[in-house]
Formats: sequence, structure tokens, C-alpha cells
Amino acid sequence: MTKPFTQNKLDRCISCGYCLPACPTYKLTGNEESSPRGRITLMRAVQDGKLPLVDLVRESNFCLGCRACEPVCPAGVEYGVLLEEMRVATWTGKNRPLIVRGLFIAVGTKFIVRLLGLFSPLAKNRKSEGEVHLALGCFERALFPSVSKAVAAIEPNCSISADQGCCGALHAHNGELEKGKEMAVALGESMPGTILSTAGGCAAHLSSALGRDRVKEFSEWWAAKEAVLNPIIKSGKPVRIGFQDSCHLRNGMGVFKEPRAILASLGEYVEVPDASGCCGAAGTYALLQKKNSRKVISQKVSDIADLKLDYLATVNPGCTRQLKTELKRAGVITKVIHVAELIALSQK
Amino acid sequence: MSAASSTSLLGQLTALLGSEIVRADATALEAYSRDATPLFHGLPEVIVSPRNTEEVAKVVKFAADTKTPIIARGAGSNLCGATVPLSGGIVLSMANMKKILEISKSEALAVVQPGVTNIELDEAAAKDGLRFIPDPGSRNVSTIGGNVATSAGGLRGLKYGTTKNYVLGLEVVLGTGEILRTGGRLVKDVAGYDVTRLLVGSEGTLGVFTEITVALAPRPKTSKYGVAYFNDLAAAANAVDQIILSGIMPATLEFLDNTCIVAVEEFAKLGLDTKAGALLLFGDDGDETSVIPTVERMAEIAKVAPGCRGVTLAADVAAAEQLLYARRCSLPALARLGSLSILEDIAVPRPKMAEVVKRIEEIAQRFNLRIGTFGHAGDGNLHPTIVLDKDNVEEVKKSELALREIFNLAIEYGGTITGEHGVGSAKLPFLEGLIGPGNMELQRSIKNVFDPKGILNPGRLGS
Repeated sequence: MTKPFTQNKLDRCISCGYCLPACPTYKLTGNEESSPRGRITLMRAVQDGKLPLVDLVRESNFCLGCRACEPVCPAGVEYGVLLEEMRVATWTGKNRPLIVRGLFIAVGTKFIVRLLGLFSPLAKNRKSEGEVHLALGCFERALFPSVSKAVAAIEPNCSISADQGCCGALHAHNGELEKGKEMAVALGESMPGTILSTAGGCAAHLSSALGRDRVKEFSEWWAAKEAVLNPIIKSGKPVRIGFQDSCHLRNGMGVFKEPRAILASLGEYVEVPDASGCCGAAGTYALLQKKNSRKVISQKVSDIADLKLDYLATVNPGCTRQLKTELKRAGVITKVIHVAELIALSQK
Repeated sequence: MSAASSTSLLGQLTALLGSEIVRADATALEAYSRDATPLFHGLPEVIVSPRNTEEVAKVVKFAADTKTPIIARGAGSNLCGATVPLSGGIVLSMANMKKILEISKSEALAVVQPGVTNIELDEAAAKDGLRFIPDPGSRNVSTIGGNVATSAGGLRGLKYGTTKNYVLGLEVVLGTGEILRTGGRLVKDVAGYDVTRLLVGSEGTLGVFTEITVALAPRPKTSKYGVAYFNDLAAAANAVDQIILSGIMPATLEFLDNTCIVAVEEFAKLGLDTKAGALLLFGDDGDETSVIPTVERMAEIAKVAPGCRGVTLAADVAAAEQLLYARRCSLPALARLGSLSILEDIAVPRPKMAEVVKRIEEIAQRFNLRIGTFGHAGDGNLHPTIVLDKDNVEEVKKSELALREIFNLAIEYGGTITGEHGVGSAKLPFLEGLIGPGNMELQRSIKNVFDPKGILNPGRLGS
């Protein structure tokens, strides 16, 4: 049997445990097996044949995949890659969650991806002179079409085409790593030049598959333009804006200052406590691990409520959906909105 | 132990404590089979995660009654194999007892549960203008319980001392399950034997801490750092001697050898002088009126010391942070060079340091091993680190021989085999050579009083 993990990536871990305090599932449980170091210990045991693969399934499911362990790791362990390998090994056959199977079929077919956006008021197709192509994102086009519309409104120089497939992030994070990479490459071929993404998760996956220089996440790209923005005024005062990081954007691509800089010029920026911590959406996690997903976000909801914000800005559709759902449930009136939409709002 | 008796151990503990805090699935057992120490591995039979002192007392009493080994563990970040369950039994994970119970600004002390991390305590103290002095490299993850169990050190030892100087009182569960309180909230208290101090550094062999009272100190208003490069580590060590002889006792005197400088530079790209044989990081904290002249004076002393290649003062906080970062990331930077790194922790009288570092270099050459040395130059605590290929059997063997020579070297110069990491399993075989058979026997007798059934972290101190 071929070994499930890349040996030199496992070897990197020196078991120092510096990742423990950064891990949301370790914070929840205090359990070593639910920490990045603990999971790597388990991966090693499986790799060496000391534990059967089935003993990895629980932790493979429980891990959010937020990669908050990576920036704090002094040894440079690529935990995200190891997690993808763990999902490939564990989420096969009947261990692959039904929801994931359904989603794979949906986003794996261009026809259905187009269908997802069919009844949404998406940005119109257009071709521009520039080399920038907007990636629409499968879920964003279905759930939050106003995001692409906002980008179209504030950035006339990017090409938009509804005829594009999925970037493959969903596959890569849910046990179909190779297929996920292939999909990214295919998308890259259909969009030569710079790919602009409004979803942190998609951007991070695309940049790992196509190279960092091919991909720009919306906030880093906008910040580089150094455009002057006017604050949004409500009842005579600049609005209070908070922010929730996208885990993969922050931990995978190192982008976290840029959205904050933009927001600081749009109103009174307030840092939400633990804004860098995962909101529990974590791709398919909010669907597959509902209870744990809600446990992860519960502190955040009350922190946000206390801040009495007008807007909570996001840079990833999964976070947007999770925060909208949970804030509404808790009766918090703060509006959850993508950074691009806020910029568009400020220019109205 | 057989699978059947293990099952019954799980069954009995579940009946006693409830299933919420007791588990024994293969996944959990494997995860607790190691700590941060390479090469040590042993499966426990049950994991218990207590939430309060009563639960700790119950499980320890159970262990005593059934003669089951019980190993208390905080974050498992120790480097001496102190928490690997080599003889099976129960791992008592203290990670969920993590409340800061009190911070008293007027008494400058804190009362915490053992699972609070070092940095959490320090951040809480900062709100009252105070700080927790011990700052082991692992401070983001290591727990106060673990810090006390190993009397953890850090970068401030010379000026401020280590954990043992800051523990005022303890609540502890002894090997019988009895709950005992020692010390209290006082700076002065000489009523009876100093049991508190005996428990500090006892590595889980005399009792399990359930509540810890520590002294805090005022947070310094400012700090300043500089860096000096030397031709070799011995020259840097001599400069350190000159600084101390001049009457300065600074907060920070750290050094790295060339192997470390190159590794750190490759990893962190800080613009270090990779041609230098040694880097000395010096600095102080306190009031502006004392810190700035002190650091400038240190710079002058270093400049004229033999073998000095250049001195720079950090212009701002960011530059100082980079220097501290260079020191803190020495180990992980070295670890990238091979699949296995063994970090040692000897300490020697500071005036002997120059000779000792030369002898370590000589050992590295003779065994043809890559040894990077960094350490706390101010307090004579050295971390020679051997980086090797874990699958190279011959190299692993050679490293064991080299380590033995390094331990003997420390003893020969009136030093110790561990300055701040602890004895654990890794250094127990060398302990008697250092402290002698009489002291070993005394330690066994002490252990027997606290833990008559020999269940608390067996195979470590007092065994």
C-alpha cells in the first residue's frame, strides 16, 4: 500500500506544541488528539502502520482546516497539505460524507455551476482590455451574487464571464486533492493573466495550484491600487465596521492587513476580538459538523454583539453565510457584508 | 497490561469519574504517547482530564489503591521526556483546569489553576501593570503547572531568577490522594521545612499541583537591545564576563554560534552577519534613565573586547523584536537542517563558559556531528543541539556518545546536566553521576514520603 502522507512533510514537525493555543478544536476540548501536533502524531502512527487508517477518521472530520497552526509553527510544517492528504486517505468510499458527494457532483459539472448562478442577479458578462479576470465562485454566485456585482461596479477594468468552472478548492479540502488541482489548472487556462477572487478560500487554493503571482484576492488587489475612499456616514458619524478574517486568506496567503486598511478608510474600524480565529464555517464544516461549528463561533457572536457594529466585513462567502446565520439567530442587528460591497456602498 | 485489565481500568475510572472526563480510544492514547522530546514514546492506558481538585484527588487515590502509574501533564512541551507514559497507566491531562482565579495588584501575586499558559498569565498581569517573570521559550504553550513542575527558566535568569524564585504557595494532591496546601501569599514565611520549594521542579513525582500562587513583578517601562558579533563563541563568552565584572547585571545576555546564525539567517532572513563565529544579544529593561546608559555601556565593553567584529544597537522596538526573534527561533531553525534534533541543556559556572564551548566544538569535530550551540550566556546555561538524520543508525549512536561526553564535561567544570529543562527520562541515567549516591538515596526517601505507593510519574526523579 502506498503511504498516505508525504514523509518529509511529516518529518518537519518537531512536536514542540507551539500550535496548540492557536487551534480552535484544541481550545474547545483541551484534547491532544484534537490539536495539530496530536493529529500529526496520529498521521505518523498511521504512516508507520501502528494505527489503522480508520482511527484517523474522527479527527479528520473534527479539524476545521483553518490552518491557524501554520503561521505560529516555528518549524514551518505545512499542516494544510497534510490535512488535505488526511482527507484523501480518510474520506474515501463510504467514509466520504454524503453532503460532500452531492457538492462534488454540483461543482464538478460546469452546467450545474452555471445553473447555480442562473436565478441570481449576477454581474453581467463583459470583456475588458486588462488582464484581470474575476472568478465568480460557485457558492458566492448562488448565495451572494451582489459581491460580483459590486466588483463590476467599482472596477470597470476586469473581465467577467459566467462561463467558468469551479476552482477545485472544495475537492482539494474534502478528499479529492488531485481532482481539485486539475480543476484549478483548468480554470487558470480559461482565465489567462491575473485571476481576481472575492473568496479567500478559492484564492488560497488557486494560488497554491497556479502560483502566488497568478492570483489576487480582492482586498489585497484593491489595497495595492491605493485608491482614495470616502467614509460611509450614518446619522452624521462614520459607521462602525468590524472584520472577520478568512482563515485561508490569512494563514495560507498572509493577507490580513489589506482588508483592515481598506475598512479603516471606510469608517470607524473596530478590531473584533480573535478576528483571526476561525468562525466555524470552514468550507463544508458548517454543514458536516453543525454542533461543533456552532461551538466554535459562539464566543465570537457575543463579542460582536457587544461591539454594536454597523457592519461586519468579510472576504469569503462561507464566513458570510455562517456569520449572517448565527448573528441573526442571536438577534444581533450588525449587517454582514463583503469588503467589495462596502466599497461600492461608499461610492453610491 | 493486558487488553482486558485495561478495559477494566477504563471501566473503573468511568464509574468513578463519569465518561465525560475519562477516555481510552486508540486515537487519544496514541496522541498522549509522546511529548516534545524526540525518541521517547509509550502508550498510556487511560486519559483523565479533571476539572477540579476533587476529581484530581479521586483519581490519584484510585491510582494509589490499584498501584496504577499516573502521569500529570500540562501542554506536553517539555524536552526531557518527563510526561511520556513509559510504564503505561493513567495520563492526567491538566489542560482543562485553566482558570486564573485571582490577580492581586496590591500584593503583586496571582492565583491560578495549573493549566493556564505562561503567556495567558503574563497578559492578564499586564492589565494591572505587572508581569510574570519566568519566560521559557515555550511560553505561548507551556502551562504554569508544567513551569512549576520543571522550575522553568528562560531569557531573564541572570537578573531575575527562574520559576523557583516566584512560587509562593501550592495546593497539591499527594501520592495518597490527600489534598495539601503549602506556603501561601507571603514573601516571608519560614514556618517549617520549605515544602513549596521542594515541590518546585519535582516533575510530577511528589504531587499533582491543583492551584498555584505566584509572585508578579512590575512591568518595566522600557527595554533596549543590541547585538555584537565575535570571531567565536569563546570570545563572546569573555565579553560577557567583562560586562558582569563591570558591575552590570542586565536582563538579557544571549548568544548563538555560527551554525545557529547561519541556520537562523537562512530561515528568517534578518540580515545577520553569517561570517561571524558568534552573535551576542544584550539588553536590559527598567526605567529609561537606567536602561539606556546600561545598554550603551555594554556596547562599549563589547566593542573593545578581544575578537569583536562589530556592535549595533537596535534602533527601535521592531529591530529589537527581530533580534529576540533570532534568538528564539534558533532551535526550530536548526531543526530544519535534519530530521532529528536533540537539544541539550547543560549549565556551567559563567567564567568557565569560554572553555566549555571550545570543548563542545572539539567534541563535534571528533564525532563529525553537526552541533549548534546557543544559550543564555548570562547564566552559563548552554543548549548544544545535535542535528542529525533519524534513520542514520550510526549517527544516532555517535550522538549518544557525544551527549555523554557533553554531560561529563559539564560535571567536570562544576556545572549541571540540566539548567532549566528538567531530568525526566532523558537525563535520569546521568543524575547519580552528578549528585552522587547519597543524594540519590535521599531523593528516593523523599519520594517515598510523598508517594508511598510509587505511582506518581514512576521512572523519573526519586526512582
